[in-house]
Amino acid sequence: MRFESPEAGVYPSLIYPPYVSTVKRGPTQEPLRIRATEPVQTNITASPRLILPHDTDLTKHGQSEPLGEKIVITGRVLDEDGKPVRNSLLEVWQCNSAGRYWHKRDQHDAPLDPNFYGFGKMLTDDDGRYRFVTIKPGPYPWGNHHKAWRPAHIHFSLFGSVYAQRLVTQMYFPSDPLFEFDPIFQSIPDAAARQRLIARFSLEQTVDDKMLGYEFDIVLRGRDATPMGL
Amino acid sequence: MASNITTTQTVGPFPHEAWQWAVDASAKLESSASVITISGVIRDGDGKPINDAWVEVWMPDAVAAEAAQAIPGFRRIPSDDDGAFQIQVSLPHPASSGKPVLFATIFARGLIKHQFTAVFLEDDSGLAQSDILNQVPSDRRHTLIARKQGKAQYHWDIWMQSDKETVFFDYI
Repeated sequence: MRFESPEAGVYPSLIYPPYVSTVKRGPTQEPLRIRATEPVQTNITASPRLILPHDTDLTKHGQSEPLGEKIVITGRVLDEDGKPVRNSLLEVWQCNSAGRYWHKRDQHDAPLDPNFYGFGKMLTDDDGRYRFVTIKPGPYPWGNHHKAWRPAHIHFSLFGSVYAQRLVTQMYFPSDPLFEFDPIFQSIPDAAARQRLIARFSLEQTVDDKMLGYEFDIVLRGRDATPMGL
Repeated sequence: MASNITTTQTVGPFPHEAWQWAVDASAKLESSASVITISGVIRDGDGKPINDAWVEVWMPDAVAAEAAQAIPGFRRIPSDDDGAFQIQVSLPHPASSGKPVLFATIFARGLIKHQFTAVFLEDDSGLAQSDILNQVPSDRRHTLIARKQGKAQYHWDIWMQSDKETVFFDYI
């Protein structure tokens, strides 16, 4: 594949002082655009054997149903030509409905749910589609500044078709009042790029009386290496 | 044509449970090739170790030698409390071609976009002819070169900032 220069403002500002820990951790130099064959032509092989039962249903990890609003999230993973990214590994993780991660370093004073660990993984299908069932995550405070609360989000990690397509991002929910106060979300200068991280509610994906549905499509960088018409 | 790519966000401080399966899958190595270890520390702009970073490694040349692995040629390694990491690298043939022995992707809290880089071995006789290194300004090439510490032991640190800042890539 080939990778065009990203448009200005689409990627977050790597040093964005309102998000305090970027100040000493974000690289100061522009990334070096380089030609390298293997990163744009090869990738790991993600065997279907890596996917375990219930990896795509995060509500099935405990002895009984977790607390919170059960939802289903689905979408297609595409490249910049609009072609589906097939049989590609995708990981998700999130906090529970009360805003607490299953993690020893998360000290937020909200309850853990013994029936919800909050992580899963899956492969995209031949249409580039993924789908998983979960609980709507809660907002939580993170100590970056006074009254710093993260908008509800689910972390996504994608491996793409080739190594250089690797992406880690976060999916948000529509109409969250915390967007304007969240420096992680606001570190993305381009308003349209921010909007593309917000899932849309989908009545079509909603499952009867069981769970509401959301659609979240993902476009990975990279186009066909052969220009059209050749 | 306007790009409609999905942008990045930080991995945050809490991926450990979700990412552990791939740490486990790559921790124990069965390789038919000779194996070297590259150790290092990831540091921020103050030189402070980053204790919640991740190094993911892709080694296309190691895939055949690691056919018994759950994900051949792949490693996922969390930095420890001291910011340290160790990467076991399969070397199917001695490094002599100026090719990187691994491609690395770095993730951390406070890093809003993951960073791509690559590692070469200092005793690779082909470094001067390296296609990739020759695209890197000469005064920064050393940030991509692991130094030999002993038999099959190399050292490579990652600096997110400072005059030692590691060269990070955007692939064309």
